[in-house]
Amino acid sequence: MLSKSDWGVGAGPMDPDSEEKLFFTDHEWETVEAAAARIMPSDEDPGAREARVVFFIDRYLSGLDYIYATADGSGFLKLDGKYAESWSQRIADMQETYREGIKELDTLAQEHQGDLFKELDDEQQDYVLELISHAPKPESIVLGEVDPVGSFLQAFTDDGMQFFDALCLHTRQGMYCHPVYGGNREMVGWRLVDYPGPESLADTITCKYSLKELFALDADWEELIPHLREKKSAEE
Amino acid sequence: MSDHAKKPEPVDVVIVGTGGGGGTAAKVLSEAGLKVVGLDRGPWIKPEQYSGDEVKYINRNYVWPDNILESRSFRPDADSDALEMPFSPLPFCVGGGTTHYAGWLPRPMPSDFRMRSLHGDIDGACLADWPISYDDLEPYLTKVEWAFGVNGLAEANRNEPPRSKPYPCPPPPPTQFAVQFYEACAKLGINAFPVASANVTTPHNGRELTNYTGYWNQFGDPSNSRCTTLTTFIPEALATGNYELRPDCYVQEVTVGPDGLAKGVVYEDLDGNHIEQEAKVVILAAGAIESARLMLLSKSNMFPEGIANSSGLVGKFATFHEYLFAIGLFDREVHDPAHGYTGYYISGGTMDFYETDEDRGHIAGCLITASMTGPPVNWVFPGRPLWGQAAKDADRDFFDYSWKIGIILHDMPQETNTVDLDPDIVDGWGLPVARITHTPHQNDVDMADWQIEKNIEILEAAGAATTVGTQLTRSTGNTCHQHGVARMGDDRSRSVLDKWCRAHDVPNLYVLDGSSFPTAMGVNPTLTIMANSWRCCDFIASEHAKGV
Repeated sequence: MLSKSDWGVGAGPMDPDSEEKLFFTDHEWETVEAAAARIMPSDEDPGAREARVVFFIDRYLSGLDYIYATADGSGFLKLDGKYAESWSQRIADMQETYREGIKELDTLAQEHQGDLFKELDDEQQDYVLELISHAPKPESIVLGEVDPVGSFLQAFTDDGMQFFDALCLHTRQGMYCHPVYGGNREMVGWRLVDYPGPESLADTITCKYSLKELFALDADWEELIPHLREKKSAEE
Repeated sequence: MSDHAKKPEPVDVVIVGTGGGGGTAAKVLSEAGLKVVGLDRGPWIKPEQYSGDEVKYINRNYVWPDNILESRSFRPDADSDALEMPFSPLPFCVGGGTTHYAGWLPRPMPSDFRMRSLHGDIDGACLADWPISYDDLEPYLTKVEWAFGVNGLAEANRNEPPRSKPYPCPPPPPTQFAVQFYEACAKLGINAFPVASANVTTPHNGRELTNYTGYWNQFGDPSNSRCTTLTTFIPEALATGNYELRPDCYVQEVTVGPDGLAKGVVYEDLDGNHIEQEAKVVILAAGAIESARLMLLSKSNMFPEGIANSSGLVGKFATFHEYLFAIGLFDREVHDPAHGYTGYYISGGTMDFYETDEDRGHIAGCLITASMTGPPVNWVFPGRPLWGQAAKDADRDFFDYSWKIGIILHDMPQETNTVDLDPDIVDGWGLPVARITHTPHQNDVDMADWQIEKNIEILEAAGAATTVGTQLTRSTGNTCHQHGVARMGDDRSRSVLDKWCRAHDVPNLYVLDGSSFPTAMGVNPTLTIMANSWRCCDFIASEHAKGV
């Protein structure tokens, strides 16, 4: 088995304009694209459709080729050994989760709204998503009113996730990932949230990519900290 | 490809782990002239192999343990079933936790070493004094700060414990959100100050601060800005010519000789060979959970319950820190952007709530800090709307107008909070995974409730339009801080290690991570782990020089 530190380069960079489907059938692709567009809708700003979230998910579920980009983003690492096995299992599980989840979306759509999910209008699709998520459509944050939440881990993997939760997490990833993963096309996701992300991953290695000017560079510790101010004037 | 399918020559010291404890031991002992082998189960990923790729690091666990291969199990108590869960994970790679930690490096307080003397028996908890004092450790806290290049502004902390030198580097400039925190604290009469953290800011030992990317907590550092053993103590050890580093070597057993001493360790390499490295001294520094697991896996006729476990206490009194926090969302019509994606995770904190004030309704306390909400895929917003227009609006309106105040929740030790071997679940190598049993003590819960309310008060003083707190509904070990499983003490019947972190039962076996901590403290453990490791390694080197 190769050390993770010695994994070579497998797949080359994605073609962000590619229409090729590596995992989804045409119908699955259209369904996931429609569902993602309800999860992150388009309004005056781009949403999941423009960010190409479905392309991001398709490449992720295609197998082992697009799991980890190389550090500089020029290609993808070739997984090896036990990690190739664990990722094979992980992806196979998630492929099934998606296949079954898409079928369930259509089943619910047919039962409750009389057509395939992708054929329904926005409100009808939202209704189906409420059914599959077992919860009402979330309401906008009203400033001042949010309930506390239980503690959680730092990493956010999709291990063991149900379809709808996975789809929501993958939609976030497809919106805001580095574009080498196929989503956040032309950085529309980053622009939506005013995040000055790194166009080039290589620039994050050299640290040419820098957010230094966003710090409070002119701040003065004595101005910020009364205790320090008092101490300094007592010394004088 | 292994160069060691044939048995390697015995050495003076073998160290399991290359993180805070193991990296420090490697440097100190090889600089003292001992022949040392360092083993890490993880790969030696070099700095230039790290970059600012959020999905890779936070969603796909490139460095965090793989949940299928490298899992653990967790149950709240012995009556519940243990479910597979990545409890208190640490990255498996050279540098260990110091590779991608947020990098808070606060000092402990003198009171931390005397919890039993100060508080007596607390119902349900098993407090114990440390067999050393703050003063015993202070010279080593200073050594680590200077060798590691820690930044801080000691005179700004009105609660600063005694120190023999200032910090080697000043703090970096505050972030925009930190300025809001400082102003709110000043209004409330709270002493906010730049909490010591793990990056150089001025040139130090050939390193400079070049990483301003914001890809910090959970990301490796491609520069040498970060204080990590990967770019400091491990290379320094290698430079002596006395240290050999073998990554990708998964230690599975500590072997015992007929004389009852540790003989060495057995590890599995990438090709599946099982190899024994003999040594005169064996040091475990794999992180408390893995060190306890390794001791329990090391069964022999002499130690049927695991090496050095005649007391039955290995794995008991396990303590963990839960990271809880309150987030503030700010109205962009009124406030400037907070830029919660910039900085070195923390920017400003206070120790005003650390020492016991029984009017609060609990004993002890914790460090709190203002901190980043992070990059956009996973920016921390508990209770975010999951989908729809509400989800999009939440990101668009608040991603750049949010920050949080978090706590390192001080965990009271209980004998029933333990690390042991899961009877059913094995890892990708066929070995029983660590099973963690943990229910927080009522003092933990009371402290969390009190402190989160206080954090909300500070956020409101800063002008937050909405605040969301997190609650201690379950333990996750999400700080990765882990301690207590091999307590140090003078009483052999109530401890596993002596005051040099040497096993009472096995005088050439040392455990130099957080395992030895009799109490958990309410500050991050890394600086204390490293200082303690240095202290004990000075002892090991001097004992070795005497031929012991």
